[in-house]
Amino acid sequence: MIIEVKNLKKTYLGRIPTNALKDVNLVVKKGEFVALMGRSGSGKSTLLHQLGLLDSPTSGEIIIEGQSIVLFSEKEKARFRLEKLGYVFQDYALLPELTALESVYLPLMLLGFNKGEYIAKATSILEKVGLGDRLHHLPKEMSGGEQQRVAIARALVNKPLILFADEPTANLDTESSVVILKLFRELNKKIGQTIIMVTHEPDDKKYVDRVIYLKDGIIQSK
Amino acid sequence: MNVKTAFFLAFNSIKRGNKGTLLMTILIMTLAYVNLVFVSSIFGGIVEAINQQAIDYQYANIVIEPSPDDRYIDNKAMGMIKSIPGVVGSSAHYIDKSVIEYDAFNDGKDIKRGQWALKSINPIDEKNVTKIHDAIIEGSYLEERDTNKILIGKEVSGGHGGNLEYLSLGVSVGDKINVTFANGIRRLYEVKGIFSTKSTAMDQTVFITEKEMESVLKVRNQASEILVKTQVVGGEDWYIEEIRSLGFKKEDIKKWSELMGFTSGASSSFDMISIILGVIGTVVAGITIFIIIFVSVVNKRKQIGILKAIGMTRGTIVLHFVIQALFYGLVGIIIGAATILFIIRPYFLSNPLDFPVGWVSLKVTFDVIKTSNLSLMAAALIGGFFPAYRGAKESILTSLWG
Ligand SMILES: Nc1ncnc2c1ncn2[C@@H]1O[C@H](COP(=O)(O)OP(=O)(O)O)[C@@H](O)[C@H]1O
Ligand SMILES: [Mg+2]
Repeated sequence: MIIEVKNLKKTYLGRIPTNALKDVNLVVKKGEFVALMGRSGSGKSTLLHQLGLLDSPTSGEIIIEGQSIVLFSEKEKARFRLEKLGYVFQDYALLPELTALESVYLPLMLLGFNKGEYIAKATSILEKVGLGDRLHHLPKEMSGGEQQRVAIARALVNKPLILFADEPTANLDTESSVVILKLFRELNKKIGQTIIMVTHEPDDKKYVDRVIYLKDGIIQSK
Repeated sequence: MNVKTAFFLAFNSIKRGNKGTLLMTILIMTLAYVNLVFVSSIFGGIVEAINQQAIDYQYANIVIEPSPDDRYIDNKAMGMIKSIPGVVGSSAHYIDKSVIEYDAFNDGKDIKRGQWALKSINPIDEKNVTKIHDAIIEGSYLEERDTNKILIGKEVSGGHGGNLEYLSLGVSVGDKINVTFANGIRRLYEVKGIFSTKSTAMDQTVFITEKEMESVLKVRNQASEILVKTQVVGGEDWYIEEIRSLGFKKEDIKKWSELMGFTSGASSSFDMISIILGVIGTVVAGITIFIIIFVSVVNKRKQIGILKAIGMTRGTIVLHFVIQALFYGLVGIIIGAATILFIIRPYFLSNPLDFPVGWVSLKVTFDVIKTSNLSLMAAALIGGFFPAYRGAKESILTSLWG
């Protein structure tokens, strides 16, 4: 068991409080490729953010690799994200002032690798996602599909325990989307990468091991 | 905090960020720095001009006065002061009060009259000690043998744009004026020269020769004051000891800076103004950096979110903005210091400003440079830190998507 979620609740406070997650319980096994599906506003992103330590739940428990992470301090969470997690967002979330290579080796730099190591590792992973000839390009010099592959390379470079992806193909054309999804499937198969991916595309089901449906902040069926 | 990564990101931002913004920022920092140095240096220059003026015309470096019980210095060692190594010269003065009258048409009517300080000089000794001989604007300087000649300041003569023109006699070189000494003796002198310094007090003085004064006062080889000129300014205390050891035990010996009184008060006011303007300049520089970094932080909100999502700590994110701010400050200092030292200072040295206190140029000291460097870097540090800290404090999701 890599992730275990118990009675997870998330309420967004505000003018009108929103119960985005009502009582979520779920388990993800190591090496699983899971899709989170559901209508817009059903709480998919919210759930992903809680699992990925990008936000703090209102109540409930999240156990990753046996560690209860909800009580982590800000610093511990940052360290955990750096060492154990990877993210791919719908809008790529690349730093505009960094080249593909720099974006990818940034996490390794933070982890304290030396220059030779981080350049070699980042280059090799960019080659694996098919961007061996785009190492020194800035985001603005790349297509959406290429940018998303840079983001994937960055998410994978620290060999994360879990890769989180929130609608990674929503901004891409069908062709580029297929490239990304096949890449995920391959990573999952070849190195046993655990992946949790939010998608609203029913077709994407064929790439994943399991689909979790959310409706109004509640899990529907397994 | 990961310093290496902070530097890496900071320099990529500078290298790949907007060039126009970068140039503007550096320009502003440079101007802020030049402003800091310039203000302190010009005030330093004014204070120095005041001091130089006093040394050149009024006090030289050291002034010896009689002990309070004596009217005159009566000391055999007067002539030996010159022989102290490092002493350029010494000049003994008699000082008396005078009423001076000028009867323009020699008809006993409309006589102009005033009271001025009257001093005697040995013209040769005086030349080594003050610059009065350089300040003659009409006529010529006194000679040792002159008995019926007088040298007067422009406030006494009038006609040269003095501050107290309405009190002046309205005389020119060649005119004859009546001088009544404190002991009642009255003599007629021909105006030989008129001098103008930048000191109103000095320009209200008249000079006759020592020889003439001794004949009026019926004294010999005494003095009301002795001015001593040394090669360098700053070693006066040592010379005072040397002078005392020549036998000037009871005389009152002071260095020029102790005699400045009011003017040194003025120079401490200048120091105060200079400090206030410096603080304002620093605060303005700090606020400027604050705004620049604030705008940068607002523009990079999303990037901050990304960096945090990747696992970068708040400290490293803040540090990367602070490094940028310090970089702007540092470049501003380098360009600003070069501008001051290679353009502005040489310009003022060759084109000093004509101030009422003297010729003023920039006095750029190591202290001024050091203080300005520290002030600007502190302004950059503080101005960079606060907006960065605020930006980095936001939650990841807020930073990423608002
Ligand atoms: N920051 C927020 N503040 C308030 N409400 C939010 C916030 N983020 C999401 N919500 C609300 O929570 C619910 C779930 O949103 P989300 O998880 O983004 O849905 P999904 O990703 O499935 O489209 C929605 O009703 C949404 O409006
Ligand atoms: Mg969503």
